[in-house]
Amino acid sequence: MTSALAHYLDVAQRFHARDASAPAWLKRVRAEGLAQLERQGLPSNRDEAWKYTNLAPLVGGTFLPPGEARGAGPLATAVEGTFVPPSEARGASPVATAMEGTLIPPGQALVARGLATAVEGTFIPPGAGDLSAVVARLGLPGPRLVFVDGRLAPELSSLSGLPRGLTLKPLRDALREDGETLEALVGQRALASEHAFTALNAALLEEGALLRLAPGTLSEVPVQLLFLTRGDAPVLASPRILVVAGESSEATLVETYAGVGVGPGATFTNAVTEVTLGDNASLHHYKLQAEADAAVHVGALHVRQGRDSRFASHAFSFGGALSRNEVHAAFAGEGGDATLNGLYVGRGTQHLDNRTALDHAVPRCTSRELYKGVLDDKARGTFHGLIRVRPDAQRTDSRQQNRNLLLSESAQADARPQLEILADDVKCAHGAAVGRLDAQALFYLRSRGIPQAEAERLLTQAFAREVVEAVPAGPVRERVEGLLALKLPGSARREVRA
Amino acid sequence: MALLTVRNLHARVAGKDILKGIDLEVRPGEVHAIMGPNGSGKSTLASVLAGRDGYEVTQGEVLFDGKPLLELSPEERATSGVFLAFQYPVEIPGVGNLHFLRTALNAQRRVKGLEELDAMDFLQLAKEKSKLVQLDAAFMNRSVNEGFSGGEKKRNEVFQMAVLEPRLAILDETDSGLDIDALRTVAGGVNALRSPERGMVLITHYQRLLDYIVPDKVHVMAAGRIIRSGGRELALELEEKGYGWLGLESGKSTTVVAKGGEVRR
Ligand SMILES: Nc1ncnc2c1ncn2[C@@H]1O[C@H](COP(=O)(O)OP(=O)(O)OP(=O)(O)O)[C@@H](O)[C@H]1O
Ligand SMILES: [Mg+2]
Repeated sequence: MTSALAHYLDVAQRFHARDASAPAWLKRVRAEGLAQLERQGLPSNRDEAWKYTNLAPLVGGTFLPPGEARGAGPLATAVEGTFVPPSEARGASPVATAMEGTLIPPGQALVARGLATAVEGTFIPPGAGDLSAVVARLGLPGPRLVFVDGRLAPELSSLSGLPRGLTLKPLRDALREDGETLEALVGQRALASEHAFTALNAALLEEGALLRLAPGTLSEVPVQLLFLTRGDAPVLASPRILVVAGESSEATLVETYAGVGVGPGATFTNAVTEVTLGDNASLHHYKLQAEADAAVHVGALHVRQGRDSRFASHAFSFGGALSRNEVHAAFAGEGGDATLNGLYVGRGTQHLDNRTALDHAVPRCTSRELYKGVLDDKARGTFHGLIRVRPDAQRTDSRQQNRNLLLSESAQADARPQLEILADDVKCAHGAAVGRLDAQALFYLRSRGIPQAEAERLLTQAFAREVVEAVPAGPVRERVEGLLALKLPGSARREVRA
Repeated sequence: MALLTVRNLHARVAGKDILKGIDLEVRPGEVHAIMGPNGSGKSTLASVLAGRDGYEVTQGEVLFDGKPLLELSPEERATSGVFLAFQYPVEIPGVGNLHFLRTALNAQRRVKGLEELDAMDFLQLAKEKSKLVQLDAAFMNRSVNEGFSGGEKKRNEVFQMAVLEPRLAILDETDSGLDIDALRTVAGGVNALRSPERGMVLITHYQRLLDYIVPDKVHVMAAGRIIRSGGRELALELEEKGYGWLGLESGKSTTVVAKGGEVRR
């Protein structure tokens, strides 16, 4: 553990040295992240919040000196695991070096020429053709920022069609142009002092996005942030997404994380999203995590909800050798409503960890939580849901459900509801279940001529339907269905792998 | 050639011998009725024929179209033309009735090298077939059997049979739980599916069904064997005299079927 920590501290220090000209406040944020990381160390299974999740795939490789790692065979190289930030990662592999020169220098392109010019495309890096196809497949109609291996890719991004009152900016631009705003936002919801990975993200703060909605803005088109990892270099991507929704505004934000599959996919994404919802504001948040099966994904979303605000989170976790998805929602004004939905689908030896925390700090707020897991092969899924109802939070109405479907004997699911109720006039319900496919139903389908794999697929889809159909019909739902289809029993991709 | 040949079939469930030497031969075009006290093994026979898990065949053989049936998976049996209308149709929340049936039909067509039906063509077909059992279109868009009444479930079974057009249909108490009008409708649907190529096995407790669907043969099953076979008149005699007439002890683990009502043990 110590050497892994040392590795990340080192990485951060080198980064700080490279960006010596950063504004003073940003330097402070990064230094504070570094200090917090050093103070807390990386979590292990012994930490309560990480009880079910073994971080070995994330940190294991750092224990091996390079010579030893290579000596251990070609696979070892792939999972060497010395994840480094984007600027170092490209240089680490020969393929990357070839590409480096043609990539738009991070940040500069936007600052110097503006996004519009960049989009017109004088700089098309090698492989961008393939990436355009990926973007076409995963992208949504509407404005989007696309990131490749942790770096903004302006040529794949598009800011056309931004509604009035909505600002979407790459974080690197905002860091320079909106210093004061950002200084007040960064670290307000996601506390580096409480989360080692948030601290790491802060220490490497550079990429991400700022989304602002002026009061009363109603945005019909979804805003998309698309994070692609090619998997041919051990990239550590640390996006930070900041959302400020003014009073009575409404918007949809879609975060998509996908492995594009050029390389073996051993990458590390450590994303942090901070959301502030004004009074009566509404945000529909979707997270589609479809990283490569060898990837490590850690993501934390923190939201603070104003009076009568509505927040709906739909978190789909499909990829990653290890995936940790956290959603923390805190009610700061009465009458707030939070919906936290999740679907995690794993196979092979995937480990999908879900953590939710609802802070009912004020009276009269409502929360609805539904997390469902589908686990095949030796996959493991965990759900840990905290509902805290503070002494003042009378007339809280909260419901939490976690249901898991195991498709194989060796798959595993752990459910851990945690209710801390300190008010007396509240409605709180929770339930957790782990089950298998219904043998009667399976036979019924097969007796009509449906092959076993297809029957299992139908029943699995039926199980997942509740969460999928909580997404309103439209392009986002279609993307979800498309990604889910690849993971279900009987899918072509599975057969190829089998 | 016989469509279905069952020879000396013995089967056990959960370590218990249930079928103890069944012989049965169904030719194309024939309708056979199987009657018999509760627990005599009628549904067990149907399950073994359809390929349900958990049944161990200890002796005997089954030929379908002259080929061994028991080594096929349930889906292979279905595709070769065996259809079981369940005594207790299963509810499958989240799987749409129409989608399910189209998936089934297309899976069968795929194996047979036929072109799959698209949603529009299938809808057309389904509408047409549903008239046969007067199943309301509303049921087609609901989840499979979910919240269906007992009678609606039975109609749905016959509707599926009409769409899949099997060569051998085994109807396990499809008449139970139907009101008088529904019985007439469902029987009409079944009759419409009678054809010179198709064989049918009707498992029933009620001679009344046989007023509507006139069988070629009637068999009486008891304690895992067929103890009497005859023509239609056998059913009438049973109706009148009960199973005691056949020298059956109906007291122990079985119940005599009372006239007019459905009996559950
Ligand atoms: N899975 C099982 N485990 C144990 N016993 C079983 C199982 N399935 C069937 N049986 C037993 O086998 C016997 C025959 O059951 P079966 O359902 O075939 O009777 P049936 O003739 O269809 O009766 P009914 O007229 O009531 O439908 C019964 O005694 C039943 O309890
Ligand atoms: Mg029965």
